[in-house]
Amino acid sequence: MIASPSSSFSAGGSKKAITKPGFTDQAESKWRTAAQQRIYGRRLIDALRATAPSGPHAVKEASDSALALTARGQSRWSRAILLGRRRPSCKLLLKARRGRRRPKPPPPALKQGMAASPEGKKVSDRLRLLGRLVPGCRKLSAPSLLEEAVDYMAALEMQVKTMRALAEALSAASLNAAEPGS
Amino acid sequence: MGKERFFGGNGPLAEAVLPSELKSAAGADQLPRSSLNLGWDQPMQHDAHAYLESDISSLVLSPSFNAPTGNDGVVVRELIGRLGSICKSRDITPTSRCQVARTSCSPPMLNLTVTDDQQQGVPGQGNEMAASQLAPFAGDPGLGETAARFCCFGLRNHVGIGAQLGIAEAGKLSRVSSSQSLMAANNGKGVTKSDSTMEMSRFGGRISCSSSPGASSVSDSLAATGAESNARKRKAAPKGKGKISPLSSPNMNPPNEENSGTKKCKLREDQKNTAKPTSEQNSNGSRKLGEDAKPLEPLKDYIHVRARRGQATDSHSLAERVRREKISERMKFLQNLVPGCRKVTGKAVMLDEIINYVQSLQRQVEFLSMKLATLNSQLEFDMETLLPKDMHHAHVPFPHQLYELGMASSAFFFFLLCQQPAQTDSNLLEMSLRWPSSLQVPHLDGFTDATSQFVNFGEDDLRQYVVQMGFGESQATEPSSQLLYAE
Repeated sequence: MIASPSSSFSAGGSKKAITKPGFTDQAESKWRTAAQQRIYGRRLIDALRATAPSGPHAVKEASDSALALTARGQSRWSRAILLGRRRPSCKLLLKARRGRRRPKPPPPALKQGMAASPEGKKVSDRLRLLGRLVPGCRKLSAPSLLEEAVDYMAALEMQVKTMRALAEALSAASLNAAEPGS
Repeated sequence: MGKERFFGGNGPLAEAVLPSELKSAAGADQLPRSSLNLGWDQPMQHDAHAYLESDISSLVLSPSFNAPTGNDGVVVRELIGRLGSICKSRDITPTSRCQVARTSCSPPMLNLTVTDDQQQGVPGQGNEMAASQLAPFAGDPGLGETAARFCCFGLRNHVGIGAQLGIAEAGKLSRVSSSQSLMAANNGKGVTKSDSTMEMSRFGGRISCSSSPGASSVSDSLAATGAESNARKRKAAPKGKGKISPLSSPNMNPPNEENSGTKKCKLREDQKNTAKPTSEQNSNGSRKLGEDAKPLEPLKDYIHVRARRGQATDSHSLAERVRREKISERMKFLQNLVPGCRKVTGKAVMLDEIINYVQSLQRQVEFLSMKLATLNSQLEFDMETLLPKDMHHAHVPFPHQLYELGMASSAFFFFLLCQQPAQTDSNLLEMSLRWPSSLQVPHLDGFTDATSQFVNFGEDDLRQYVVQMGFGESQATEPSSQLLYAE
């Protein structure tokens, strides 16, 4: 009886939804499959166990890394997260150096090229803001930035769902463990 | 009836016999001889109504078939469409074959053989009428040629639709004869009409699709040639584009000047929204030349971009329009993704909403991670690490393990289990049965207490989780995937 769940676990783990990048609707369907949730959930639990002693930031980073892993490197933001985690110190140093050399690189002309000046500024500002929100997409053109944003949003939704379920389960378990007074 | 006698006879002989038979038949069934000897259009029309009572009559000669050029395609399509319906209802293959034979300019003998071969198996006057009608046409090679030409013209426009309609239900056609006739037609036509013959051959090939294996090869070859011709047309468009782009780069100015003038007429064609490959070619070519400033863009984009009526047609605006369309398409998708943003219009506001939503999601992730961190510190991690491993490897008695390791581990197990919809039935049942009632009750209470503390819980998740925990015993068969992850 126990063997069957374990086998099912491994079977579930091997099931991976493989989709091609570059299309928005595929991104959405990819993140909303149950298989992806299971994969991510398992990865999340592993990461939590590994980072048990550290503080909440470590947990967040671990969960983000797990999410990026689940994306399997197909999106820009996932690659940026994974690369950032692997060498955090080097990444920070690189950023600092880049900042000194080029104090303020001009905003890419692409974002402003297409829109009229009064609204174009707002739009380009917001696009820049969105680029800062999505990891690794600061200097991206508008269409690809929007694509990354779609993928990132879908992934975030899945992450929130899974983490919430896990937190519920854990909290219920801990409370029940505390109540009987054992 | 004389007709019946005639049709019972041999094919080749029928040719000679037919006219006389027809004359007799004509008197009886309003078949004007003059119509038969004349061209395709008016006599046909007249024949249609007067002469064939069944659907076949209307099929053979549609009333709209007035002008030889304009309505050819319409008529043929109608004919083919009705042919399909008729064949369905009556399994009237000869009529369709008559049609096919008529379209070709083959000698009348073939036509008659075609009609005769399967006449015997088919009841109904309509067939006879059609066959008899066909004979005089067949007897006149000149008429046959003009008829074929008209048919070709019509077919070219509508063969795709019509052929499929007609042939799907064509049932048994004497493919050999029809294909042979078409082959003859193809050979006799010449280069100028290669397209039409290709179309016709495709038509014929399609008609033969469900035929005997003997003719299938012929039909396949015909269909292949037809398909090839179409493919050639399509390939010519991108090839032309490919050729133009390298040429245009060295000679930017003169082609631009030429094409700026030609663009207008070509784009006017576009504006008519004709789906013909030639106009597509022209417009694509002009667009490609106009956009040679960006030769790196994929060819695929050019196909979809069309200079719409009243819009600027120079290279920069076209390229900008492509980009704008891409961006707006993605914005639309984002709109669907972000909850409550269907009615928002405008890029700026939409982007605002998107940014807010992404920020809220990130904040939720942070909050949940903090909560998980606190929970992690509270629980006994040794057992939790043990439990999944045990699940993976060993076969441990399920309830015993639960009791020993505590609720945290069971919660983990439960959580993991819930993500496996396939296994939930048996597992839930086991778990619920093994859990003591004492554990069950505080489970619910504890859970409700916990939920009161955390505001962020989704209502759905919460309810479903409670249901799962509470009714695990009674409704063990309910798959947990539905409960936790309602999708």
